[in-house]
Amino acid sequence: MAPRSIEPVPLEDVLKLNKFFRDQRAPRFGHDFLQYYSFKKDFVNLNNGSFGALPKIVTEACNELTIWQEENTDYYYRIGFIPPLIGVRELVAKLVGAADVDEIVMVANTSTGMGLVLRNFLWNSGDIIVRCNTTYGTVYKTIQYIHDTTPGVEISQFELLFPTTRQAVLEGWKNHIDNVKRNAPQGSKIVAVVDSIVANPGAAMPWKEMVKICKDAGVWAIVDGAHSVGQETLDLSASGADFFVSSAHKWLNAKRGCAFLWIPKKSRDIMITSIPTSASYVSPGPDRPETNIISQFQYNGTIDYTPYLSIHYALQWREWVGGEAAIHDYCNKLAREGGRLLANNMATEVMDPDGEFTLAMVNVVLPFPKDFSATYDASVSTALTNKLLSQNIYAVTFWHRQLWWTRVSAQIWNELSDFEVLGNALVSICGEIVIEHQNANIPPESKARSFNSYLEHPFPGAVAYDTNDGAGSLRPVTATTVVPVGYHTHLASIRP
Amino acid sequence: MAQVETPHFDSEPPAFGHEMRKCFSFDPDYINMNHGSYGSLPSPVAEAIKPYYAMAEANPDLFHRFTSIDIIRDVRKRMAKFIGAAHTDEVVFVPNASHGLNNILRDITWEEGDMLCSCNTTYNSISKTAEYISDIPPYPENPQFTIIFPTTRSEIIANWRSYLQSLNQTRAISAGKLGRRPKIVAVIDSIISVPGALLPWQEMVKICKEEDVWSVVDAAHSIGQELDLNLAEADPDFWVTNCHKWLFAKRSCALLYVPRRNQLILKASFPTSRAYISPKQRNGSNFVEQFEWNGTMDFVPYISASCALDFRAWLGGEHVINAYCHRIAIEGGKRLAQILGTEVIDQEQDFQFTLNMVNVAVPFPPTISSDFAIDMAFRQKLLIKKKIYPAFFYHNGKWWTRCSAQVWSQVEDFEILGEAMLEACKEIIEEFGDGSEEKPKTSMEDTIEKLAKTELNDQKVFLFK
Repeated sequence: MAPRSIEPVPLEDVLKLNKFFRDQRAPRFGHDFLQYYSFKKDFVNLNNGSFGALPKIVTEACNELTIWQEENTDYYYRIGFIPPLIGVRELVAKLVGAADVDEIVMVANTSTGMGLVLRNFLWNSGDIIVRCNTTYGTVYKTIQYIHDTTPGVEISQFELLFPTTRQAVLEGWKNHIDNVKRNAPQGSKIVAVVDSIVANPGAAMPWKEMVKICKDAGVWAIVDGAHSVGQETLDLSASGADFFVSSAHKWLNAKRGCAFLWIPKKSRDIMITSIPTSASYVSPGPDRPETNIISQFQYNGTIDYTPYLSIHYALQWREWVGGEAAIHDYCNKLAREGGRLLANNMATEVMDPDGEFTLAMVNVVLPFPKDFSATYDASVSTALTNKLLSQNIYAVTFWHRQLWWTRVSAQIWNELSDFEVLGNALVSICGEIVIEHQNANIPPESKARSFNSYLEHPFPGAVAYDTNDGAGSLRPVTATTVVPVGYHTHLASIRP
Repeated sequence: MAQVETPHFDSEPPAFGHEMRKCFSFDPDYINMNHGSYGSLPSPVAEAIKPYYAMAEANPDLFHRFTSIDIIRDVRKRMAKFIGAAHTDEVVFVPNASHGLNNILRDITWEEGDMLCSCNTTYNSISKTAEYISDIPPYPENPQFTIIFPTTRSEIIANWRSYLQSLNQTRAISAGKLGRRPKIVAVIDSIISVPGALLPWQEMVKICKEEDVWSVVDAAHSIGQELDLNLAEADPDFWVTNCHKWLFAKRSCALLYVPRRNQLILKASFPTSRAYISPKQRNGSNFVEQFEWNGTMDFVPYISASCALDFRAWLGGEHVINAYCHRIAIEGGKRLAQILGTEVIDQEQDFQFTLNMVNVAVPFPPTISSDFAIDMAFRQKLLIKKKIYPAFFYHNGKWWTRCSAQVWSQVEDFEILGEAMLEACKEIIEEFGDGSEEKPKTSMEDTIEKLAKTELNDQKVFLFK
């Protein structure tokens, strides 16, 4: 590649419309799209939701960005990255309905964004944080951490149990919030974390209504929107939320390590510092400019800006494949139809048959015997993950309310037949697991223990780790080690 | 267990000096004299990590749930050995030094009367982190230690001891009032950023122990520049280094070292991990697990640290690389000082602070402004116009330049820089005045505005100050 001049490069030159987009026409949604992604041959990817997937053309663009970065790193980090980064923030602001570019900052992922907000609040004794049993692991534990480290900060947990209806959720949520408010000490603040789309199960919530319930009660509403951008249309200014975080590397086709945090002007005062703190940090007070928090996020430690800048290309890609509306329509339809087909195939049920909670992800019961699923067993989770991967297919599995489920993501490279393949795989896998479990002769009271026979034949190259509640360091679960399960085997349930 | 594949090098490595540019992807017109700020990614390392990116896309679930975790555990083992940690489980990866240091400083349970001690030479964002921490309840103090160059190692060590002793006197008084003994936490640079200067940090850590002060070592510049690191021996309380600086890893990649005895102090990673366990429910350390997954990101830079070590071994190994860089730094610095008619910051002290970064005074009159606009002017005149750029900083009444010597550097680069700087200094004095006039020729705000516009062709810019 010919070296570029390092005189200030106009934005259009750095981010020029790739001729790929000019010269090629997009195929129909479905398997025809697989050629534009880099999946291993025949890998049936039914789990876009966890880690996203980077289209080949966006990968190439990212490689170009890296080359640019290495040509003259001083230029890049002192001058060059700034205009394209501002450009990305402007594009995101427009896409999500923020009032302007200065309400959007880029962060590495949703866990970081949520952590930034929760840790910037100045917590006092008597304050209450509202979370759900379904709150995503890192956020759930961030709240735990705040409770552990600030005396007097209480957690109020709302139990969200599926199947349910939107109406039931909203009624339950209102009761819960009103109750918390009524019993809260004088002068305390209440901060609620609302998932726009829950991870496990994959369920699109009536989050705007839930936010309104919070605001009506004078409760802060922080929305974990990890799965939202690219899966649903957003109008954040209209939402009334106090903060919103979403990952662009899930459903928006950006490179991993790209998310945004929406800080509406009304919420700026809460945000004192980026993490890490930036050299442009100004102590709170009359001398601190209003937009200081926004400046802080521009540079706060050396990172690779390529994931953030990849949004320029991700959005061009999405426009080229057919646009947001077309993508959402296809995925939603496929999720519903696919879910029904999968449930039929496995002779089980879709969690949300009316589709009230279904966008591009659908949840279907796994074909285990009822009593088998009665208690959570981490080794079943590990076994499911490993066996699916060894069959070159993957969808998330999780345990909820005494049933095992699969959460399936529908994407533009998927077709109904993928759900068929998944159904067949799961039927045989679940059968295997039940037999292995029986043969291991685990006494009922030790049902929570890992079973030996599975452990003798782990998926090659895969390791299952149980942390045993933190006692000692991680160790592989082997045939000779029966490890009591303290909490989820974290490998199998990482960002489902 | 999945392991990083050792990259295969077909040929002999190029010679040190300009030949070595073959292994990097710089603009051929650009003379890189500031490796220290952001690092540089060798092309062989960029190649070696491509398979991991391919894996990440071939099966994202397999890669992120299993393969990458396995591989990174392997790399951590290698890195722990490299820095002389006693145990692998004392070393985890974090995105960068700022992140690691923020994690430590934020997680310490601060109490009224505590002191978080930084230095006038502490890296700017870490100074600000210390400032932030003292801005919020319970408002720990933020006393400052002062290092003014030129100085000597023994002077710094002596001053450090007296300083900590005086802090202890203050502490004794607070203890009396509070009814308990507050803690003192000191941020110590192993190698200061500006000036680029190796400190006697191991001695300073020892003195911290004697004075019952926690040592948090900002070793951002250490790995790959400081030879024969032995953390088990130096035994700091916390230590953080950037692999993407002198070690040639991909951005962004850093190591956080927390000896076992201190792992309960660091309660949680940032962001908090799913693996976090409430301290009162912990049955042993919860350290490593917490840092293995903090949200989806690009994990390949962590893997690249191993490939970088292999690349450096191919070049001849740590001692060979650093012997070259050090020699060029000294010779180049002397030559630059000669051309500029100034001095190297520690030339009277036998260059005792110089590893691969050398600091040379800029030939300005003593009345010159210390304003940031001067730095911006150098950026315009050197980085943009002449495609050569070292870092600039103001210290003890003078402007200095900090040049990084790397495997591609030669003394002639310093000569080219010297000529370019003479011209630039002349222009700057003409534009800004030499500070001796009553009224400055141009207002700083106007100049900054003008420079920003020229740099970015009128595109909107946030000025990073």
